[in-house]
Formats: sequence, structure tokens, C-alpha cells
Amino acid sequence: MKFAIAVFSPAHAPSSRRALRFAEAALAGGHQIARLFFYQDGVHSASANVVTPQDELDVAAQWRAFIEGNQLDAVVCIAAALRRGVLDATEANRYQRPAVNLPAPWELSGLGQLHEAAQVADRLVCFGGD
Amino acid sequence: MTTLHVISHSPFGDNRLASCLRLLGTDDAILLCGDAVYALRAGTAPQQLLQTARLQHRLFALAEDAQARAIDSTLAEAVDYPAFVELSLRFDKVNSWL
Repeated sequence: MKFAIAVFSPAHAPSSRRALRFAEAALAGGHQIARLFFYQDGVHSASANVVTPQDELDVAAQWRAFIEGNQLDAVVCIAAALRRGVLDATEANRYQRPAVNLPAPWELSGLGQLHEAAQVADRLVCFGGD
Repeated sequence: MTTLHVISHSPFGDNRLASCLRLLGTDDAILLCGDAVYALRAGTAPQQLLQTARLQHRLFALAEDAQARAIDSTLAEAVDYPAFVELSLRFDKVNSWL
């Protein structure tokens, strides 16, 4: 079966970790992930500038490793990302901001990508809140 | 059409659980995760609410979240992540109360 997974919370929220564990279990169970979509505060999970205290789980790093390791399609909502200062090189250049914090494998795109993923997948599962 | 309702907020902070129970279909189920597992704490109003809703085999709790909060209840069936994935496929839709 195909899953679309939407994450609405930042990497330091328990629900971001739950989303990651769910995604790992889905792949381990032989299922596919059509797309991961990071929306609202979920865009912080994609920021390369997140520094997690040494005694805490670095969920942002785990997301990156999971996406790269499984070559998944990980889309970050562009409108949500811009207003929270999560920029790739193109957007940093366009708005003349001094830093880039969204390298590959993440991709900035629109809400249409969530809609399309929901159509393509058998299930859309959203994670947010506490 | 059946729906798995996923709740992660504490039942002591808002009305999500009560609202969910009000519109729960007869074949729908609830999965409690995060602070929502506090609804299973014995002797509390939310636990009373769940008991009166008669959710036999339709109430689940994410095992690690219940364990982390020292919640040990027979009211909900404990599930791990592979079982969470299986649950999401058993129902037609997954509705997260964000």
C-alpha cells in the first residue's frame, strides 16, 4: 500500500518523532511512501540549522538520514517555509537573505503537492500537536 | 466508510476527545497517542467518558506513549508502530485531531 505522510510539527515536538517512527514501520512492513509533506511548523524539521542538545534525540537529523537512505520524496511547503525563515539557495537569493538552510534532499514546493500525494496514496496520515 | 481517529492532545486541556466521541461512527475507532493516553488514567472524567462510550475493540493506545506515562489500562488495546500502520490500513480514512 502507498502512504502519504504530512507532518505539521517541528522536530522537537513528540509528534514529529511519531511520524518518523510510523514512516519507518510503514517501509519495514513492505509499504511505500508516496510523499512526505512538511507543512506549518513542520518545516522546521527540514532546517539544516537545527542544533539539538547532546542528550536529546536529534529528530531533524534522523529525518534527513531516513529520507536520504530511502530516497524519499520530501516536500516542504514553500509559503510555510518562507515565513519561518527556512530557505533554499534560490529563495535566499530571490529575497536577498544572508543564509541558506534547506539543502537536498528537501524540496520546496506548494500545497498542490500534498493534494496530489493524497490522491496518489491509499492513505494520508497527518501528524501534529503534542 | 470507516475512520480511525488519532488524538494526541491531553483530554485535560481541550475538548477534542469529547468532540470526537460525539461524532464517532459505529464502526470507527480511536487511537490515543502522546498526552492523549492520559484519558486512560483510572478515576478521571475522561476515563469515565471512554467507559460509557462502550468502545470494545475500537479503542487503541500507542504502547510506548502509555508506558512512558505509566498508564496501564485494559480499556484500550496497546499497539506498537507496525500495528499502528496496520490499523491505518484497516480503516478507510485516518483523521488526526491536530
